[in-house]
Amino acid sequence: MPRRRIYNPVTELLTAALLVVLVLVVNRWEFSLAVLVLGVLPAVLLSGRARRIGLALALVTGPLLISSLLLHGLFFPEGERILLDLGIARVSVEGLVFAAVLGVRTSVFAGVLLTTAMTLDIAELLATMTHRGWNRKLVFVVGSSVGLIPHVALRGQQITRAQQARGLVVGRGPVSRLRGLLAVTTPLVIGLLVDASERNHMLESRGFSAAVARTSYLPDSDTAGQRVFRRLLLLGVGLSCAVWLIVSVPR
Amino acid sequence: MSSSSAPAAEPAALRPRRLLLAAGGTLIVLTYVLLVVLQPTELAGGLGSVAALVSLVGFLGGGALLVAGVLPMLSTSSLVVMPLGIALNIAIGQLAGSLGLQIYLDAIGTVLVAVLAGPAAGAATGAISNAIWGLFNPFALPFAAGAALIGLLAGLAAKHGLFRRVSTAAGAGLVTGAIGGLVAAPVAVFMFGAAGTPGTNAIIAVFRSMGDKLLVAATKQGLLSDSLDKIVVFVLVALIVHALPQRAVRQFPFARTQRVLGGRGGRSAAARGNDAGTA
Repeated sequence: MPRRRIYNPVTELLTAALLVVLVLVVNRWEFSLAVLVLGVLPAVLLSGRARRIGLALALVTGPLLISSLLLHGLFFPEGERILLDLGIARVSVEGLVFAAVLGVRTSVFAGVLLTTAMTLDIAELLATMTHRGWNRKLVFVVGSSVGLIPHVALRGQQITRAQQARGLVVGRGPVSRLRGLLAVTTPLVIGLLVDASERNHMLESRGFSAAVARTSYLPDSDTAGQRVFRRLLLLGVGLSCAVWLIVSVPR
Repeated sequence: MSSSSAPAAEPAALRPRRLLLAAGGTLIVLTYVLLVVLQPTELAGGLGSVAALVSLVGFLGGGALLVAGVLPMLSTSSLVVMPLGIALNIAIGQLAGSLGLQIYLDAIGTVLVAVLAGPAAGAATGAISNAIWGLFNPFALPFAAGAALIGLLAGLAAKHGLFRRVSTAAGAGLVTGAIGGLVAAPVAVFMFGAAGTPGTNAIIAVFRSMGDKLLVAATKQGLLSDSLDKIVVFVLVALIVHALPQRAVRQFPFARTQRVLGGRGGRSAAARGNDAGTA
């Protein structure tokens, strides 16, 4: 079951972004690991969507981590302590350490942002953006895109099946693949453009291009306390980063 | 269309937008120069953290400023096609990534919007696309500025008539891809150690085995993969827009007035029928 929401999506997004900034600035594997174990893991477990988030994390981060390990573990010409010489590829301690440090950092980056995004209430985020006076065009594009992505994927699948029923066979060659891609994308784009044209007329007739302030039908879940919290968080992380960077400058 | 761009009678309103555009562009250029000049030798420690932070904040911040400057200028017809482009980018890009291809195909929507609605809409589509994709795949997020640049260059290519023929579109794709690859390489290196799909990593591994530094290897890979990718994307988009019904193309003031497809959907065709309805 999804968790009960405590904070506004803007607060959650800002906290996640600042956590990523902190991890990048500190850039110590110990700190990254601590954030991963003490921050990301509990957040995933308490999200009420642990399985979904875990699966998404594994699918997004897994291949990248394996790629990183293979790339730096086997091909790291700067490495001096060689563990295994395989001719063109050499396993070095430095390469493995580099892959591990980047791997932990990358996992935190993906873990923090993916957990926040997958527990985010997009409608609430868009309502907050409207209440806070964000650019209405941006709110429209973001909201509309998020709603359109599953629709495009589904329509793409339907067109693919229809074209296959008509005899579309995609071979292994690049020309055949390009032809297959065209056979699916052309009707997909035409259909979407027709929809866009209708939406254009609909929006214009409802005064979309007018410059007046918008009203959201959803209540504003953002509070004065959270706004103060966000400013303090921004200030705190900014100061911490400045101090850390000054202190850790190599002499 | 009723609001193709900001009215010329509002110079005061245009000034902050131009400032935002200039600030965004400057921040992106400065970030790139800083990263390439810095070239930290020890990426895993010391300066590496600054480079990663500069890369994330500089490119993302620059992209955000560009979007803030561009969005108020866009017409409703450009705005409604942007979600379409973003959804296409994400759906097709995700598919290409999961297949482990050496190319990305994640800019089809951006280039399509740029060709139909112009460079500004293309740039905004690229940047917002990567920001939204970041909700599903956080690794796309830092490449937002590069995606905006692709949209901008594709729009400029369309404006200069390079999408009228498939061969010139391929040439424009080659140049755009090379520039995009140069911009994306430092982000890939400083944020993720250049790790990507198995296909792109195989190319980097070849250059690394020859003794290249990581940034050099990633730049060469970017030049190769991005150029090839953008040639395919530009050719695909050129074929798609030429297959579109004239009515679909004519609804976009940019495509109509700039004669993006030559005689098809150009000014003369528009003058015959639909211009009156757009006033």
